[in-house]
Amino acid sequence: MEHSALRAEFVAAIGADAVLDDPVSLRSYECDGLTGFRVVPAFVLLPTDTAQVAAVVTICARHTVPFVARGAGTCLSGGSLPVAEGVVISLQKLRSVLEIDVENRRAVVQPGVTNLDVSKSVARYGLYFAPDPSSQQVCTIGGNVAENSGGAHCLKYGFTVHHIHEIEVVLADGSVTTLGAQSPHQPGYDLLGAFIGSEGTLGIVTRITVKLLAKPTVVRTLVADFPSVEQAGDTVTGMIAAGIVPAAVEMMDALALEAVEASVQAGYSLDTAAALLVELDGPPAEVETQFAEIEQLCQDNGTTKLVIAPTPESRAAMWKGRKAAFAAVGRISPNYFVQDGVVPRTRLAEALVRISEMADEAGLRVANVFHAGDGNLHPLVLYSEEAGEHDRAEHLSTAIAELCVDLGGSLSGEHGIGTDKACSMPRQYSDVDLATMTLLRKAFDPDEICNPGKLLPTPRLCGDRPGPHRAHPLEAAGIIERI
Amino acid sequence: MPPTTFVPTTVAELRDAVAGSVTSHPRLLVTAAGTAATTGGRPDPADAVVDTTALSGVLNYTPADMTVAVRAGTPLADVQAELGEHGQHVAFDAARVRRGATVGGLLATGDGGPLRQMYGTLRDLVIGVTVVLGDGTVAKAGGHVIKNVAGYDLAKLFHGSLGTLGVVAEVVLRLHPLPRTAVTVALPADAAAATRLGVELIASGTEPAALEWTSGTGLLVRIEGTPDGVRERVDAVLATNTAAHVLAGADEEAAWTAVAAVADPVAPTTTVLRAGTLPSDGPAFLATLGAAADAAGVTLACGSSVGVGVHTVALTGGGHAPVLAAAHAAGGSSVSVLRDSGLADDVSRWGPPPPAVALMRAVKARFDPADRFGAGRLSPWLAPTRSRDAEGVPA
Repeated sequence: MEHSALRAEFVAAIGADAVLDDPVSLRSYECDGLTGFRVVPAFVLLPTDTAQVAAVVTICARHTVPFVARGAGTCLSGGSLPVAEGVVISLQKLRSVLEIDVENRRAVVQPGVTNLDVSKSVARYGLYFAPDPSSQQVCTIGGNVAENSGGAHCLKYGFTVHHIHEIEVVLADGSVTTLGAQSPHQPGYDLLGAFIGSEGTLGIVTRITVKLLAKPTVVRTLVADFPSVEQAGDTVTGMIAAGIVPAAVEMMDALALEAVEASVQAGYSLDTAAALLVELDGPPAEVETQFAEIEQLCQDNGTTKLVIAPTPESRAAMWKGRKAAFAAVGRISPNYFVQDGVVPRTRLAEALVRISEMADEAGLRVANVFHAGDGNLHPLVLYSEEAGEHDRAEHLSTAIAELCVDLGGSLSGEHGIGTDKACSMPRQYSDVDLATMTLLRKAFDPDEICNPGKLLPTPRLCGDRPGPHRAHPLEAAGIIERI
Repeated sequence: MPPTTFVPTTVAELRDAVAGSVTSHPRLLVTAAGTAATTGGRPDPADAVVDTTALSGVLNYTPADMTVAVRAGTPLADVQAELGEHGQHVAFDAARVRRGATVGGLLATGDGGPLRQMYGTLRDLVIGVTVVLGDGTVAKAGGHVIKNVAGYDLAKLFHGSLGTLGVVAEVVLRLHPLPRTAVTVALPADAAAATRLGVELIASGTEPAALEWTSGTGLLVRIEGTPDGVRERVDAVLATNTAAHVLAGADEEAAWTAVAAVADPVAPTTTVLRAGTLPSDGPAFLATLGAAADAAGVTLACGSSVGVGVHTVALTGGGHAPVLAAAHAAGGSSVSVLRDSGLADDVSRWGPPPPAVALMRAVKARFDPADRFGAGRLSPWLAPTRSRDAEGVPA
């Protein structure tokens, strides 16, 4: 298809102002939060409503042009990386809160609304949207649906998939459908659940009915220092054994604390091996009882300093440090990779020891920030492009993710597979598993034009990479095609 | 002639049974404890039954990880007994768990109970699954960690699949701590009042684990937590209504048994329906069914999870088909038949299809291209109930 002919079709569908193809504009869409991967698309489209999204997808389908949906572009796994010669469909103009239903605790929003704006728009009713990824000020609800975003509070409240009632989706052929329902009882396959977290490969979400929760009556937060990561970990184990499910349990090691303090001065200690940030929320008496138990557990496990946030402002400061941790690492290292593996919680200590050994072997530093309650690690691999450490760091980062799989965990807890980890998927899933996942992809998008090259490994992406586990699984893909 | 029955005890035996019967027994009906044998559409005659009840046992349980892996044919009640020894449970209480329903069967039927208010259903608790497809493919998705976004979440597809995609062989579930204390408060209320009270209790931060109303019990509010925390919230609930009272001992047990009896009644002639609405639309929906029931001489027992808008209705006496028709008209594609004792074979169990029915068909065609599994269960949404010619090919 000629570029100019395709352009004319897009312009006819959504107007010239909404079709970008000048080099400068295109360049600003060349990557997402995973900035190491860059691809300049052929077009960036800015539709304003569902009908326009459907119209441009229909054009893409007619000419088998691949397209990638994009919200704020904060994805950390290259999930919204453009496809060369393909189209980026930005949802930035679909950013209205369409309806708020206080009685039934839900809101209908467009995909370009930011996560935080959903909560802000319903705050006056004492409601909020629970998933709270660190990027919540800018990341969009559409992106949250695509990635099944979690956040610090998902230990208690779950992930995006637990907080969505219904979505309107533009499918890969341009048709529009609805997944989910007004209540959790919807007979038949849970296509809503399968769609959430599909990383933009099954369609484009254009309208979302989110579940809202009543704001907890009481929130209590503390930061406790420990002389070792093990002691901090034992404290978390103690909480689990006591049947306490905190709203959040975050751990930071010395290097991460150093970075945060250099950046935002959250008041963390610089002379400790590890710190735990623990938050409880809920009914007052419940929270007071369990908060006292957690304080005691911290003492029993040798905490050297325990600070309880006395005011909402100090609580916000504690969280500001944690939520800024990724960016803060830029203060202590010119470059870094953010990792997102998960291990069974009981294997946290083992994972951290191995990561430390692997970092030493690679001659690199790794800062650890993680959700200690659910075993979701965010090792930050520090390196210098200038010093030529890129490849070594990338290798270490990948090795850490794969270590998590070997320990019985997962490549990703919340950042997604995207482009970044597609080639590691055979480490976690067999060829048959991946071929079976491909069945779902094909059911939604037989021509694979919807965000191709993400989530599942492809020969094009992974075939030329060295190493034993790089061998792509779908080359022997008679499995896929024999049906 | 009674059909052949496969009773595999391992995933490998299950795979061999499925793969080995492609030509000899193309049409398979998956069964487990039989507690939902008439849920969904009437199954077409099958060439063989895959009985999963011997595919049982806990595979992996590490309490500190708060996850458990089980073979799909394991009765959930058995799993709960083992977890309970470690102060944990699967936070799920569909009525037929009491009668031995299996984990796989509960997943495939998309069932749920009063705890759906706080914990959802198995859809929200399943973190990994192993399935066997019609060509003998054994595939897994998800895993053993609660937080995991790697790959498609195929477990969700099998939730509510009614045995039409393949056989669920193994399931990994996330666990919750058993509450230190749980108290039930009863408030006399009709459906409308119960729905209103539910809104107020949720808004006031009561965090109820269950908000279950039935026509017999009124509104039951289950509050879980630490002893002092529960006391505080129970007092708050009692303060909302002078007739509210705490149920203890046998009274509490009897009230929850009454709730379970709506979804899983003892009487063999009862038809049971379930439907979902916006929570605030629940009372009107139940009133519509009530009117249809009166006209058809049917006695209704109604239950609602008023906080989330899921309703269960048991029909006894009279003609059940008109009530089902009224439910389809008012509740659309959300209506399912949990038990069909009072319905003739030719009454369609399903109402208007959901908007995504074309996707459901596409998923079915990809996962079960030979159409081996569960024919009839989701008819006519998937395909009309077929009559088959001599070769067993759809007419």
